[in-house]
Amino acid sequence: MKIIMSVTLSLILIIILLFGVAELPEFGDPNSPVNNYVSQRYLDKGLEETGAMNLIAGIILDYRAYDTFGESTVLFTSVICVLALLKGTGGKS
Amino acid sequence: MNDIILKEIGKIVIPYIQIFGIYVIFNGHLSPGGGFSGGTVIGASLVLYKLIYGPEMIKKIINYKIVMHSMSIALLAYGILKGYSFITGGADLHLFQIPLGTPGNILSGGLLLPLNIAVGIIVGFTIFAFYSLFDEGEL
Amino acid sequence: MSRLITNYYEVFSIILFGIGFSTLLFHSNLIKKIIGMNIMDTAVFLFFAAKGYIEGKDAPIIRGEFKEAASYINPIPTSLMLTGIVVAVSVTAFALALTIMIYKEYGTIELDEISEKEETGWK
Repeated sequence: MKIIMSVTLSLILIIILLFGVAELPEFGDPNSPVNNYVSQRYLDKGLEETGAMNLIAGIILDYRAYDTFGESTVLFTSVICVLALLKGTGGKS
Repeated sequence: MNDIILKEIGKIVIPYIQIFGIYVIFNGHLSPGGGFSGGTVIGASLVLYKLIYGPEMIKKIINYKIVMHSMSIALLAYGILKGYSFITGGADLHLFQIPLGTPGNILSGGLLLPLNIAVGIIVGFTIFAFYSLFDEGEL
Repeated sequence: MSRLITNYYEVFSIILFGIGFSTLLFHSNLIKKIIGMNIMDTAVFLFFAAKGYIEGKDAPIIRGEFKEAASYINPIPTSLMLTGIVVAVSVTAFALALTIMIYKEYGTIELDEISEKEETGWK
């Protein structure tokens, strides 16, 4: 019963999402709305403004550096949480 | 683990893994890689060291205090360096700006190299701390 | 509907998402639920990476000298997915730690048995 219910639910979800995919722009299309002026600006000025040959590094550590700062904080916080839960309990038991 | 083959192979392999991780971090602004991937490689080498030589050996080098202090210092250094960069970049303060250098050199790109190192330290110690905590419940 | 054949990356990421969702629903084992959540994460990463691709262009890493900007793919979805991967790792570690604590408290990680023990006033 549970298996039938969950498989039906996921099939309904997949079909709804596939209707969305059918309306998306084609795969690898240069004119799709994803490639707008933001990425053009990053590609044009990235080298002279950040000095990075790897443009991804230039984006995540210069233009969007506080995003990466947040990622590091998330990692640090998760270490603190796991430490608070598991320290001194002797994980293997 | 008391396996002589594992210990001897580990002696040879682990330094190369760590050097490769440091290379990936330091070349993060020139080639594919960066703080996240290089930090993961270094964390994997620490996990391998702990698996082979046992928790007593690694406690002499990396203990709770060192992990927590270096992670906190790296996080603080990231915030301060990038905060300085954002303040001098946005407002008309005419403070000292870090020069960008010629693209392609290893000492170029302004703050990218120190920030990559900070991220690498955080990620490497995070991987090691997760393994250590899940394995025996202490760091 | 012909887009479903040309957009095969997106179609397979949606199917992967469904597989993860059904894993999340029909297992009562907590570890298997976490595995299902990870499969859903992977599906989202695949979807975003597929959205950034442009036909016949290079990865945004400059080798030699800078070509024109139109010869590189879109770098933004790639850099956004780094955040996603890090958050997925953190959430997985935290969920596994909570699972260990649940096992220590109840002696089982099956959700049915846990709720049974709660109802019958287990102490």
